[in-house]
Amino acid sequence: MAPSVFRSPVQLPPAEALELSKQAPAILRSSANTASTSAIGAIFSAPEKPEEWITYENLILSSLRTGDDKAANQCLARLVARFGENNERVMALRGLIKEAEAQNDGELEKILKEYDQILSENDTNIPIAKRRVALLRSMGRLSDAASTLVQLLDFSPTDAEAWSELSDLYLAQGLYPQAIYAEEEVLVLAPNAWNVHARLGELQYMAATASGADGGSYQKHLAEALKRFSRSIELCDDYLRGYYGLKLVTGTILKDSGKPAKLTDEGDFVLPDTKTIERLNELATAKLAEIVRHSTAQDRGWRGYSAAEVAAARELLSEDSSSGIVR
Amino acid sequence: MAQVPVQTIHRDPQLFYWILFPITIVMVLTGILRHYATVLMASAPKKLDQKTMREQRGLVHGINVRGNFHTLSKRSFNARRDALITAYESGAYLKDPENQGQPPPNPLSDPGSMEGMMGMMKNQMAMIIPNTLIMSWINAFFSGYVIMKLPFPLTIKFKSMLQAGVATKDMDPRWMSSISWYFLCIFGLQSVFNFILGNDNAANQMAQQMGQMGPQTAQMFGPGVDPNKQFLAEAENLAVIDHYSVLDNVEDRLLKSIRV
Repeated sequence: MAPSVFRSPVQLPPAEALELSKQAPAILRSSANTASTSAIGAIFSAPEKPEEWITYENLILSSLRTGDDKAANQCLARLVARFGENNERVMALRGLIKEAEAQNDGELEKILKEYDQILSENDTNIPIAKRRVALLRSMGRLSDAASTLVQLLDFSPTDAEAWSELSDLYLAQGLYPQAIYAEEEVLVLAPNAWNVHARLGELQYMAATASGADGGSYQKHLAEALKRFSRSIELCDDYLRGYYGLKLVTGTILKDSGKPAKLTDEGDFVLPDTKTIERLNELATAKLAEIVRHSTAQDRGWRGYSAAEVAAARELLSEDSSSGIVR
Repeated sequence: MAQVPVQTIHRDPQLFYWILFPITIVMVLTGILRHYATVLMASAPKKLDQKTMREQRGLVHGINVRGNFHTLSKRSFNARRDALITAYESGAYLKDPENQGQPPPNPLSDPGSMEGMMGMMKNQMAMIIPNTLIMSWINAFFSGYVIMKLPFPLTIKFKSMLQAGVATKDMDPRWMSSISWYFLCIFGLQSVFNFILGNDNAANQMAQQMGQMGPQTAQMFGPGVDPNKQFLAEAENLAVIDHYSVLDNVEDRLLKSIRV
């Protein structure tokens, strides 16, 4: 999909973010400062569109990524003119710009103090609370960030974004069970999100392959990873990460199938029989090859895949074929 | 059988310009005015303090776990269920735990709910006042004669509605008076307002009344609801869940559904 100012630029690769931020001056010029302050003006001017404000927000994000602080500040000024200084989202965006402009750790500390100040006045300002977590994380204070996020989630446990970030924070610290728990909470809030299913599968796989996992939990994690990836593909049948993970997991299981399957408690998932696993592996390999082939050829309907993910899939496939020859 | 002769009434054609148009224009303008008055009078949504938010979202969290338990493995679900039931039954999520077991406070004495009622009052007033004014205006100026003939036949029952204020027994119900034109405007201008003001306008009071009459949107956190009771009910709901997982046999389903 072409980069658009209406979509959040968080996931964009650098080149596309740059392209977006180059549009900033043109957009700022073409749309006059429409936020009218007088009530009469508001009646007669064209009705405002929510897209306009989303555009500004996304422009701020992509201009900050590409170092265009001036455009970011102009966009922020428009948002302030419309929503006021004390709007929670606007406050968070201003904090974001300040963080981006900060030159050294001292300034970051100062911004952190400002956030504390804002939160002490209004402890339900969730955008600022999240900024605070992100700032702590970027300053390298992971455990502080995690505990702050846990406090936030204590009074707002229905925030999928926060749970997801918490899972990532725990993962960065190597705390797999906690990361898995947090990712499961995301699934509780968004039960049909195939990317979250695949992500949980990845976490389970990492937990299984990390050193220190004993036999029982190793099997358990692998079994659940396999099922998570399967579910993710079931929900979205051309999801590259799902197939990639499925291939990886089934490959790992098949490689050390010599290990005796330990008896697991009731309540854990058990691995399906070897034949099913082999068929799953074949399916994933075939699908991955298909995706790689079509997307390299730029066929119609196969263009949305990220180049990096396709490259990784190709690598996995070639690894597989070379090891197959050895075997 | 003798044909009933078609009733003809000679009207001044000016009636059309001096009554139909003014009433319509006034109705449209009041609708627009009412829309902007509602927008201006609307109070900003009340900010929740942290404890209230915790109470409400804690409950919603439980509902989510109950609704989507099938995405979890049995072990993770049981862990969540035990934690939630314990917390719910001990009142850990309650805004003020010492009030547990006491009857809910009178909604009238709670300032928070008073504000909501004031908002409703304002809306009602914005509907009632202009309606009363316009109706009395029409009654004072334009009552007592017919202004137009509808292009389709009607049964006799419509007489009392369409010819309000014209007490003539034998007149065809197709003739209508100004007050009935006013009623037609009330019911029929919604699409005009949609065109002028956009879809979510507050101009038409009929739409609002329909909304009120419709199924009561679940007042989960409204005044007068005892949160402790909600929590206990939710704990019970969680306790009776018979767990299954969507991941059971997912690989077989997958192999069946996807062919390369």
